[in-house]
Amino acid sequence: MKPILWATILPGLFALTLAATSAQAGLFGSSSSPSSDACSGSAGDTIIAARTDQVDLYADPQATRKVQTLDKSKFPTCTPITGRWPNAMLQVSVGGTKYWVEPHMVKYRLAKGAQPVCRNLAMGTNEVKAGATRGLGEGCPKTGGSH
Amino acid sequence: MSDDEPQPEQSVPPPAKPGPVRRVISRVRRPDRVHMAVLSQRVPYWFVAAFLFAFSVVQIELNPFGFSDLTQRYTQDIADLLITGPYFYGTEGRDKVSVALVDEDTLHSTQQPWPWDFGTHARVLDAILLDRPRAVVVDFLFVDPRPDPTLPQILQTIADYRKAGVPLYFEGGILLPYGEVPIRSEIARTGVPVLDPSIPVYNGVSRQYYVKAKCMSGVRPQPGGGCLSAAVQVFHDVYGGKYPLEPLNGDLELTWGTKSDPINAKWMTRTDENGARASCLDTTPPLKRIYLAFFDTSSVQNLCPYTGEIPVQSLLSGDVDDPDVVKLVRDRVVFYGGSLEGAQDKSYSPVNGLIPSVFVHAMAMDNLITYHGRPQQNVMTVAGTVLSNNPAQIAAIIPVILVLTWLHMQRLRRRRRMAAREGHARSATFEYFLDKTIEKVWHWLAFGLALGVGLLLTLASGLSVANWVEVVFVSVELAAMLLVGLPDSVWGYLHHVAAGQEPPEPPAGEQAA
Repeated sequence: MKPILWATILPGLFALTLAATSAQAGLFGSSSSPSSDACSGSAGDTIIAARTDQVDLYADPQATRKVQTLDKSKFPTCTPITGRWPNAMLQVSVGGTKYWVEPHMVKYRLAKGAQPVCRNLAMGTNEVKAGATRGLGEGCPKTGGSH
Repeated sequence: MSDDEPQPEQSVPPPAKPGPVRRVISRVRRPDRVHMAVLSQRVPYWFVAAFLFAFSVVQIELNPFGFSDLTQRYTQDIADLLITGPYFYGTEGRDKVSVALVDEDTLHSTQQPWPWDFGTHARVLDAILLDRPRAVVVDFLFVDPRPDPTLPQILQTIADYRKAGVPLYFEGGILLPYGEVPIRSEIARTGVPVLDPSIPVYNGVSRQYYVKAKCMSGVRPQPGGGCLSAAVQVFHDVYGGKYPLEPLNGDLELTWGTKSDPINAKWMTRTDENGARASCLDTTPPLKRIYLAFFDTSSVQNLCPYTGEIPVQSLLSGDVDDPDVVKLVRDRVVFYGGSLEGAQDKSYSPVNGLIPSVFVHAMAMDNLITYHGRPQQNVMTVAGTVLSNNPAQIAAIIPVILVLTWLHMQRLRRRRRMAAREGHARSATFEYFLDKTIEKVWHWLAFGLALGVGLLLTLASGLSVANWVEVVFVSVELAAMLLVGLPDSVWGYLHHVAAGQEPPEPPAGEQAA
């Protein structure tokens, strides 16, 4: 093959490989979920980092008393989650003090995964069908027909 | 003198000739059927047309026994279930609208009693904002001035949306006691648009959507007075530049889609009437669907909503990175509402059955997007004049009447010619099949004519099928009346009663034939 052809093809192949690797790593696309190797040194439930520019810290899990607001850069990373409330609020220790944070403001990881969200509709009523993993439909009972 | 003896003729006076009124009464009571039959064969064109027109007006305008309305609405439901929903309604709107729904399972899993505090609503709205929606409509009413320390959080959320340039709408209370404000004053003072969430319901079914509504706050009134309804206002603000909203003079006729968003099928299932779990994606074959739509309508309904549903549970848990949640929020209009037993806000949809009313708003928005701002309506505008559906249907049926009457007159003429011919008698079997064939062709001709007129109305003026389908039914009725010769018989009777003449001689031409 002529060198000029190699010169044309090789950069293209390189770019394709790079793009594929990046996409797999989540650099492109809409998903920004924490990768599995983030905070790999932390076992158990972990807050990986702040997601929003600022994170509100609350004194109670009902989020009625806001204590302070931290900038993203000042929020600790790879911090263990010290408590969870049924309304999904997360407890975290910041500067030695325990606070509650809203889950959407941080990226976090649960060691056992979360319950899936599933619904079975029957004549206007819903039945809860619990599963084992997190994400829409993951772990939900499967049905016949197409999905 | 015995009775057997003949009476002298001159002793019996001739019977007195009855007066004209008595003769008319006599003909009313004992009409001459032979005379009537002959007269009925000579019914004029104008009488048949006028008779059919009068019948149509009564049927359409006066709505006897509610027949007209029921026909319209039943046909709209069948059209949604059978034709428009599964095969013709596009998915452009479905891909741009979502519903974030708080349901009983959400309350159960988060162990939060209803009503939620403002802080929890703020958390949901903040989570939605992270995925950059096109606009968000809050379908909860915040009317009661209950003490809530988290109120500042929702006010902060309103400010955050404004800062992010994402339109946020609230809905206000309706039918409130005198003096009650539609939304808490703290929220109203932020200047956030507050919309009227009224939904029209006909016989318990939600098939239409208001265009105009009550003005609340934060929304500019329309030039003609009043404000736009919830979905129409949001469409006007968000998509008005891309799809200019055509002048809407009546109500929207909702088209309900049947193909549930594929993401719903990932996490939602439904239990069919046999108790078996089925997928939300409907895979009923077309022929079976046709059969079921007519004979077991409820079995074709899909409990899964058409609009993509975001579980609020996921938003509260911060699952805003879930690709499905991202897909359901990004660049979409998100309606945030509830389906709670303690706060009844449900509507009956022709294709779903009972569903949360927030899906009605979502479907109206979906219609507006899918039809590019030209949704189906219950009125038509011709040369600047707004016609409600009844005058439109009456006008639409006139050409059908004229054509059917002309064909009927041709048939009468041919029949007279055939009767005059002798020696052309056909077998009874042939006559039977000929009659039956003509009967079928005749009815389908009327059906086709009316269908053509109706489709023209839809294409030309956006009039919904529900608002012209009566033309089809009335046309078939007219065809049936012509087939049995009802206008002819009425003409024969009236003419006989009024004129009382002897049967006219057949025309010279027919005599010769």
